[in-house]
Amino acid sequence: MTSDPAAGLAVRDLTFAYPRSTEELFGGLTHTFTPGAVTAVTGPSGRGKSTLLYVLGLMLRPRRGAVLFGGVRVDDRSDAHRSAVRARQLGFVFQDAVLDPTRTVLDSVIEPALYSGARATDVRVRAHTLLDELGVGTRAEHRPGEISGGQAQRVAIARALLVDPPVILADEPTGNLDHDNAATVLDALRRAADSGRTVVIATHDPFVLGRADEVLAL
Amino acid sequence: MKVGVLVREAVRSATASRVPTTLVAVLVAAMCLTTVLTVGRAAAAQQQVQHRLEEAGSRLLEVADVRGHGFLTSSVIDQAGGLSTVERAVGLAVPRDVTNAAVAGGHPVPAWGVIGDLTDAVELVSGRWPGPGEGLVAAGAQDRLGLDVPVGAVVTPHGADGWAVVGSYRARAPFTQLNAGLVVVTGSDTPAHTLEVVTTDAAMADLTQAAVVSLLARSDPADLSIVSPTTLADLQGAVVGDLARYNRTLLLAVMAAGAVLVGVVAAADVLVRRRDLGRRRALGAPRWAITVLVVVRATCGGVLGALVASALGLVLTSRVGQAPPLEFVAGTAILGVMAAAVSSVLPAIVAARQDPVRVLRTP
Repeated sequence: MTSDPAAGLAVRDLTFAYPRSTEELFGGLTHTFTPGAVTAVTGPSGRGKSTLLYVLGLMLRPRRGAVLFGGVRVDDRSDAHRSAVRARQLGFVFQDAVLDPTRTVLDSVIEPALYSGARATDVRVRAHTLLDELGVGTRAEHRPGEISGGQAQRVAIARALLVDPPVILADEPTGNLDHDNAATVLDALRRAADSGRTVVIATHDPFVLGRADEVLAL
Repeated sequence: MKVGVLVREAVRSATASRVPTTLVAVLVAAMCLTTVLTVGRAAAAQQQVQHRLEEAGSRLLEVADVRGHGFLTSSVIDQAGGLSTVERAVGLAVPRDVTNAAVAGGHPVPAWGVIGDLTDAVELVSGRWPGPGEGLVAAGAQDRLGLDVPVGAVVTPHGADGWAVVGSYRARAPFTQLNAGLVVVTGSDTPAHTLEVVTTDAAMADLTQAAVVSLLARSDPADLSIVSPTTLADLQGAVVGDLARYNRTLLLAVMAAGAVLVGVVAAADVLVRRRDLGRRRALGAPRWAITVLVVVRATCGGVLGALVASALGLVLTSRVGQAPPLEFVAGTAILGVMAAAVSSVLPAIVAARQDPVRVLRTP
């Protein structure tokens, strides 16, 4: 597994506020996320753990400050540019997987290839490999409604890893899982970090915090 | 991101999301079918009316020499036939009764002296074209004259004039009255009683009438009697115009109503699939890709509905003998698909501008 070492993720003087809200989050946060490490973002409810992930994922724009990839500011670029960064350099894992209920598991895994420009035929083999590695290879042709929550989350991790992005953002990935499934998901994210990726997990789960390399408390 | 890949994905997504695709297909099918069954039939009727109004009888201008001044000479008839707005022109003498020369007291039939080119008035069925002093007999008149074959001779009641019959004919439209008797070739110095002018187009009647009247150069208008298709041409224009206006209005109304309904379905689809679209945005789909996705998805339903409706509409209208032209059906199908695509643009733009975070976050 390879990752671009220059694609380090960092925030500088970051402050965010939702529209029509006077409450500002992050208070000018400056932080560089370490490639090859699992960073847990934690804090009390309402402090913006998930919001920080969406700002890092370029789906929300900061009120002040900047998001940098490889030292280059990207949060102020056009929608097309930010989308391209999301498609090629970021992998997202949501709290409840968010798979397409009308398509097969395999279709869900290869979906990012549509937006990254990778050839579907090329990524199909990789999708099968990832599903096998995550223990859900036999479910490739099933619909999301036919698999368990833990399996769905592993499928979501396979989807996040498909185009080999240097950064994985996971929003409460174990929030809906039992202990065993949570451990399996965390192992998968750990392996992703071990292969050089930057893994950022928003969580308040002590189990996740205990297995993180770094903790960013908001 | 490649547009071709995106379109393929949209088609797959439309296939996977059967309910909204079927709804759009049903709406577009209803829209196209209604159009074909109403506007299409009206268009077929319009075509029939126009065809009837353009028949030769509707393009006939008749000028009669009511005082017998003899100004409808073969030269005048040739000049009238040479006008650019005239398809053909012949002169007809006043018909005279003739009987079979071989049967005393036979049944009389009318014989028209034709001045000008005989081929403009009749088609030769058998025998040969007649020369001066000869004529042709129509099939019906042949029986009444007691001729076994279209060969023989006819004479006027007191034997003053006579013509040899050298063949049979069928009258060309609009001169079907000639099927009741014979046509005979008169001398070139014999003037006609009426000048029969068939114009190239009913709309040219006015212009042709003016040209023919100017050609005759009569100082006293009472010398002439004119029966013109000018009024008919005006009527044709009015009827066809009214039908076309009605068709356009109906077509626009049906398409507009259909497009609004498709827009509503597309908007509902966008609302229901907010999470799907939000996921796509999070995975890297830019706004324009979401717009294309929603529009192509609606268009897929539109194509399906338009194809089904076109086939069904053609079958139904064919059964009642009022099938609209194929171009009309194809045009309706294309309009239906375009209406589906255009009406989904606004919901697509709204979908592309939705905040993905709002639908992806789990409280």
